[in-house]
Amino acid sequence: MATTAEGFDAHGIGHKDHGHDSRDHADHKPGFFARWFMSTNHKDIGTMYLIFAVIAGIVGGAISGIMRVELAEPGIQYLQWWAQFMGGANDINTALHMWNVFITAHGLIMVFFMVMPAMIGGFGNWFVPLMIGAPDMAFPRMNNVSFWLTVAGFFSLLFSLFVTGGTGPGAGTGWTVYAPLSTSGSVGPAVDFAIFSLHLAGAGSILGATNFITTIFNMRAPGMTLHKMPLFVWSVLVTAFLLLLALPVLAAAITMLLTDRNFGTTFFNAAGGGDPVLYQHLFWFFGHPEVYIMILPGFGMISQIIATFSKKPVFGYLGMAYAMVAIGVVGFIVWAHHMYTVGLDVNTKMYFTAATMVIAVPTGVKIFSWIATMWGGSLSFKSPMVWSMGFIFLFTVGGVTGVVLANGGIDDNLHDTYYVVAHFHYVLSMGAVFSMFAGFYYWFPKMSGRMHSELLSHIHFWTFFVGVNVIFFPQHFLGMQGMPRRYPDYAEAFTFWHQVSTYGYYIMAGSMIFFFVNIAYALLAGKKAAANPWGEGATTLEWTLPSPPPYHQFETLPVITDAHDYHDHRPVTA
Amino acid sequence: MGQNTRMKKVILSAVAASLAAFAPLGLAAQDAAAPAAIATQAGQVEGAQTAPGAEAGAGNLTPAEASVAPAGEGAYAPMAPTKGKGMPTSYEDGALQSMTFQDQYSENGKYAQWMHDAILMPVITAISLLVLGLLLYVVFRFNRRRNPVASRTTHNTAIEVIWTIVPVIILVIIAVPSITLLARQYETPPADAVTIKATGYQWYWGYNYPDHGDFEVISNMLDEGEAVRRGEPGQLAVDNRMVVPAGVPLRIQTTASDVIHAFAVPSLWFKMDAVPGRLNEKLLTIPEPGVYYGQCSELCGARHAYMPIAVEALPPAEFAAWVREQGGAMPGEDAAPADAAAAAQPATDTAAAASAAAG
Amino acid sequence: MATMPPVSADAARRNLRVGLLAFAGALAMLGLGYASVPLYRLFCQVTGFGGTTMVASESEAARAASLATGETISIRFDGSVPANMPWTFQPSQSTDTIAIGERDIATYVARNNSDQPITGMATFNVTPEQAGKYFNKIQCFCFTQQTLQPGQEVTMPVLYYVDPAMLDDPNMAGVEQITLSYTFHRAEDPVTPVSPRIN
Repeated sequence: MATTAEGFDAHGIGHKDHGHDSRDHADHKPGFFARWFMSTNHKDIGTMYLIFAVIAGIVGGAISGIMRVELAEPGIQYLQWWAQFMGGANDINTALHMWNVFITAHGLIMVFFMVMPAMIGGFGNWFVPLMIGAPDMAFPRMNNVSFWLTVAGFFSLLFSLFVTGGTGPGAGTGWTVYAPLSTSGSVGPAVDFAIFSLHLAGAGSILGATNFITTIFNMRAPGMTLHKMPLFVWSVLVTAFLLLLALPVLAAAITMLLTDRNFGTTFFNAAGGGDPVLYQHLFWFFGHPEVYIMILPGFGMISQIIATFSKKPVFGYLGMAYAMVAIGVVGFIVWAHHMYTVGLDVNTKMYFTAATMVIAVPTGVKIFSWIATMWGGSLSFKSPMVWSMGFIFLFTVGGVTGVVLANGGIDDNLHDTYYVVAHFHYVLSMGAVFSMFAGFYYWFPKMSGRMHSELLSHIHFWTFFVGVNVIFFPQHFLGMQGMPRRYPDYAEAFTFWHQVSTYGYYIMAGSMIFFFVNIAYALLAGKKAAANPWGEGATTLEWTLPSPPPYHQFETLPVITDAHDYHDHRPVTA
Repeated sequence: MGQNTRMKKVILSAVAASLAAFAPLGLAAQDAAAPAAIATQAGQVEGAQTAPGAEAGAGNLTPAEASVAPAGEGAYAPMAPTKGKGMPTSYEDGALQSMTFQDQYSENGKYAQWMHDAILMPVITAISLLVLGLLLYVVFRFNRRRNPVASRTTHNTAIEVIWTIVPVIILVIIAVPSITLLARQYETPPADAVTIKATGYQWYWGYNYPDHGDFEVISNMLDEGEAVRRGEPGQLAVDNRMVVPAGVPLRIQTTASDVIHAFAVPSLWFKMDAVPGRLNEKLLTIPEPGVYYGQCSELCGARHAYMPIAVEALPPAEFAAWVREQGGAMPGEDAAPADAAAAAQPATDTAAAASAAAG
Repeated sequence: MATMPPVSADAARRNLRVGLLAFAGALAMLGLGYASVPLYRLFCQVTGFGGTTMVASESEAARAASLATGETISIRFDGSVPANMPWTFQPSQSTDTIAIGERDIATYVARNNSDQPITGMATFNVTPEQAGKYFNKIQCFCFTQQTLQPGQEVTMPVLYYVDPAMLDDPNMAGVEQITLSYTFHRAEDPVTPVSPRIN
């Protein structure tokens, strides 16, 4: 590759805004405000993203708790209380609107302010530069802008909860923001703030994607060819391209929603010659790549972790990398499988059925390659490894129900039912979230310099595993029996499985206590982490640095040799 | 609306020019005036409607009491639903039944359920168990104690080809019935299919019968207590059902008046969005009489959960009687109630045509 | 400003180049997002996607008529008005049987039931969707906005034909009836901004 060492020479010319030479001060840190509010350090920004994602996750998770408690029995129990708590009127329509606000907020928060910031902003920022041997991201200040745009987006969304958006406060359009419910169907500024929140978060992500692409293309250490990059870096690269190509389409679509709402345009308004179905096409042209944006970095992390704890190179490295590329590419041509019931002609539906099923092939390659990586390995079941193995199984379960839903004719019954809810929570709430916990336990010692408790993280795993399965597995049954999504109330026949699902939520919520206790324990009393706490299987560059890494790393760039060994990413001297 | 008033109406100037150029000008007036029965609809539509949003009392529900009921005809009374048919089953009433699809009452539904139960379900169960089994095996066989020295194997072309090709083959096997199912679902209704247009409103359904005088039935959810009193499932029962003939091809058309709704009946494997400014259409045949419940399946605002659908399939003769009670008419007859036996005839004809078309 | 590792001018230039390229890619997709509105419309108009009907000229209609085989097809007419539109709008007849290729005229009756002039704009599609590219309109009230005075009732004609090419399309096999559907929307103030109304 064209990577040249002098580009990263620590003795090069300092940036013009950069008042002093820091080459002798690897650990020189700025003051508190400058460090955390004007940060340009990829590790600090990564840490902020992770903390932000945890906070957003608590909010989004709490909202799902409110929903599960409400759904524990038929009828409306608590929504009226919540509607008044949020400043709404004491009538049934306000209460029911509150429900729609909760589902909308839960979806938007989990997608845009929990999973994406944690995966890409958090782990991506922390470990892409470390893994490719770069001192920082290509555009450190833009990195800071990305983060604060995301935070601003979150506040815009929170603000929308306190202004009117229909028959009560907040935006009750669902995370899909379909027109015309989101235009003529939602009077009041709440939906505008929700849309603006997506603009901000989307702009932050597009800048972030630009940053990752530039960093990965330009700033790899000498000898770190593309085919030598760790798979996590590959996954972030593919994700960055998906972000770059998908998010602007969402931005265009929701900007048109805004102008339809406020400036009299009729892009999606049939009364002016627009077409509400076009909004759905645009949304899902973004929305389907978006689900891969949420899971691909998880794929990357799982690959690193499985290899580390099997003490074995990743099986089929090239196949793994290009399977992700294939998933990314095919992800752009399957969007209408989210719209099977909207009124598509038979040929369109057949095409999207076939194209969607194709995705199962590269996904299968990845699943089997992970198992093949373990095959013949010497497995140690540390916390990251058990989360990864949980991921593989649960993601498979979520994946195969995706194959069921891919069939347009079958989807005629399952569309917009709890079966779909179960499916995407298996791939996200279990797929993406399990990979995030796996990554968190894998890299926590590196990031904090402290070891977490293996016991607590194993308890966390098993209770969480049981909890989420008890929540979501019965939802398949509900969906097949015909329980529609986005309902605060239901026919009595659905009661039993809803109750089971709610009990699962309690188990899951309880298991999170172990997570937070574990972090507190590690930070307060955890053992100091060695540079490489995971042993000989950990072969990526971050393990060659102390834990935590110095404020500035790789001031002398590592030189990676033996470009043909896909597994060992370390410099030969390490 | 006679010929005279029609002539007096303003014809739009832009199109008038083309009308003049159009040779068989008489055709317009002739065609337009033809079905007198339909022209009289407007007044009757009002009579058939329940006030939107109003909860119907018992009087509204049984139009038998209304003056439009033809003499000598058995008055329509809503059919009592059969437990477990056309509605979800609770865990208490059947643990296994509550974990799978509702029993299917349409041909396509039966085929789709067969496809799910006989092909998809075994395949996805096998794949999940295979992955689980392999995971458990590597845990057991390749743990650190049993296998202290890891191999360095990173490639095996044969196995990589296999796990690429085998899923492709499985997908092709799935694709065959999947495409067949789609083709069946997209069969188009015959010209004489009974047309019902379902319109989604915030938050109730309206059912138009354009071939039967274009009356509209407004369908609101019954409150829980009233539903239970009538022996119907709460949340699913409605005041005025969408009544259709059984065993006859139905042309179901959907549209919406405000935001997007979706017309869905799980036990008929039927779901179609109702999009404002656009008409969707699908063929549906319900072989046996019964009550089939469904719910709106596209988020449509606050009361999204409270606009259920109840389809009542009746034998064609009873359907014809119901139509006349609504003030409508069977195709080919006048709006005024005709002799009962004669009225049942067209419906029977339709049924015969339907079975011919199906055969 | 927090400390940043020094970067050589050359590296900064190369980063800027890749970054700008990537950003240009994002801008291009943004443009594509907006361009999708006319492109989608064009796509529907050309392919009949979603049941979009075709617009035909007199000469095209004449050519279609010359290909008529005498086979017939049933046409159903459907009219809807949204809740916020105080018109009644209905076809004069619910169905008609026409010769494929031959032009025909259908009329709809619209009446303004309110006490103020109201301008309406019709949207339309046909079902089944695959019939869109064979359903040709020569003249239609739906091409322009229509204004009705209070209480005014008008008959609105649509001049159309069904392209005989449908007989050669396997996707149209078995189609016995095409439904032509119109929805008359209120054109004047449905675009009232929904946001500024804060209570």
